[in-house]
Amino acid sequence: MHENGYKFELEEMDLYYGDFKVLEDVNLEIKKCCITSIIGPSGCGKSSALRCLNRMNDLVDGARIEGSVVLDGEDIYDRNYSVVGLRKRVGMVFQKPNPFPKTIYDNVAFGPRLYGIRDRETLDGIVEESLKSAALFEEVKDKLRTSALALSGGQQQRLCIARVLAVQPEVILLDEPCSALDPIATQRIEDLLSDLKTRYTIVIVTHNMQQAARLSDYTAFFMIEEQGDPGKIVEYGDTNTIFTKPTDERTERYITGRFG
Amino acid sequence: MSTDLKTGVEIARPSVEVVGDLCEFKDSRIEGIIQQSIARNEKRAHFYDRVATVTVWTLSIIGLGILAFIIFVILYRGIATALTPGFIFGKPQALKEGGGIWPMIVSSFYLALLTIAIVLPLGVGAAVYLTEFSREGRITRLVRFGADSLSTVPSVVFGIFGMVLFVIYFGLGYSLLAGAFTLALLNMPTVMRTTEEAIKAVPHSYREACLSLGASRWETAKKIVLPSAMPGITTGVVLTVGRIVGESAAVLYTVGLFVRKVPVSPLQPAAPMAANIWHMYTEGALVSDWMRVANGEAAFLLLVVLVLNLGARLIARIYQKRLGMVS
Repeated sequence: MHENGYKFELEEMDLYYGDFKVLEDVNLEIKKCCITSIIGPSGCGKSSALRCLNRMNDLVDGARIEGSVVLDGEDIYDRNYSVVGLRKRVGMVFQKPNPFPKTIYDNVAFGPRLYGIRDRETLDGIVEESLKSAALFEEVKDKLRTSALALSGGQQQRLCIARVLAVQPEVILLDEPCSALDPIATQRIEDLLSDLKTRYTIVIVTHNMQQAARLSDYTAFFMIEEQGDPGKIVEYGDTNTIFTKPTDERTERYITGRFG
Repeated sequence: MSTDLKTGVEIARPSVEVVGDLCEFKDSRIEGIIQQSIARNEKRAHFYDRVATVTVWTLSIIGLGILAFIIFVILYRGIATALTPGFIFGKPQALKEGGGIWPMIVSSFYLALLTIAIVLPLGVGAAVYLTEFSREGRITRLVRFGADSLSTVPSVVFGIFGMVLFVIYFGLGYSLLAGAFTLALLNMPTVMRTTEEAIKAVPHSYREACLSLGASRWETAKKIVLPSAMPGITTGVVLTVGRIVGESAAVLYTVGLFVRKVPVSPLQPAAPMAANIWHMYTEGALVSDWMRVANGEAAFLLLVVLVLNLGARLIARIYQKRLGMVS
């Protein structure tokens, strides 16, 4: 078995959308049970990089990967690798909260039901457990049968996290999960992620540098040189080092807010 | 101008103050010209706005007026007959007066039911394929072009085609089934297109969420996309039922014009209301009250279509409420 403390290893990965090269030469090791954040200016390909990890880029016409993306020793872009199985192991939370137009209960139970769990009691247990893990249970326990769309934005986002937790993933990818939320809701999500990292490997894309600094153990800084160039990793390492003694001048300029 | 240098220097200061300073140095001549021009433009815009409003109102009132007149005439001439139980549930008469239209009502709904059973899987299946499974390309364009072209073909052409293919070639004879196949072809493009629109209106984020949980494309279509598109699809189906019930040309050549008994088997001939109205007006003169029957049937048919259309809206609203889309 593959045991080096890394969940994901990206090696010389390039991403193309048709003829357009979106990312170039991405090398990244993502450590187990840590929070890794991806920061960088708009349009630098940080969300695209995140979507390589659960192959959501497959949905884009003409998307293509070169190099390798390895999860627990297996190349996820291998011809025989099951995408469905991958997405069960690597869950995702999106920028805008996107609960299904169903009840709160049905949202959380959606994944387990997809995998064939029908037993009432088992489902009840999973729903309650997941909502508790997502720090939402107390707020919604009396209205599990009401529409998820009636929840506030912050509650919806925690519901989306609960929905991911319900399928027992190993990795959770978050694509700017707080960008549509107010500061208090953001605070709750951040607290929640800090709790969850003991059990899950978390990768978060954020444009909020304070959030990256507060939350993550490792930080990767992405950037494009000029409009039309592919995004590249400028610097990757320990969050403390990146934010206090960055080795690259561009990282320093970015985190001190002088561009981007 | 003496202000140029000053503003140039001021720009280096924090932006709030720059704005304040710049305001003080506005060129009063240019300002005057702009203000005049705005005032003139406003007057003109206001005038044209009034003209456009009056024109659009008049046109829509004329259009609605014509429609209202037609509906009024049909109801005025037939409603008294149409709402008599003896007429609705009565037996049709070919040789004497006092006939009813019960077998025609049953024919219409029987035909609609059969047609929907055929057209729904085809139309929804094609729409799901086009939106969820295929990549935009030559084939999808061809299918859409074909469907759009078909929906402009007059229904009488479908009627003759249906007669040749289903009635004669497949040997179904004049029957509900032959009519249902013909009407399925006729309505397939609209069912496909309305379903497609309903599916397209489902937010992409639902699909992403579903796929990211490890669902396949088929599971996503079945469990998320189709249920979310249900209000739109249902509305489309109910409106299609309305069109089927109101269709006469395609039915004349495939189902039949007059029956005495309620049709039981789909292989029996029948007489949907719209076709029977045409029959009564053109060949019904054997009975002296043919006019009363035709007018009563027309009014009844109009009411049915009206109820169906209202039902479509109601169903859509109920669905949306249940999904929490509107509060």
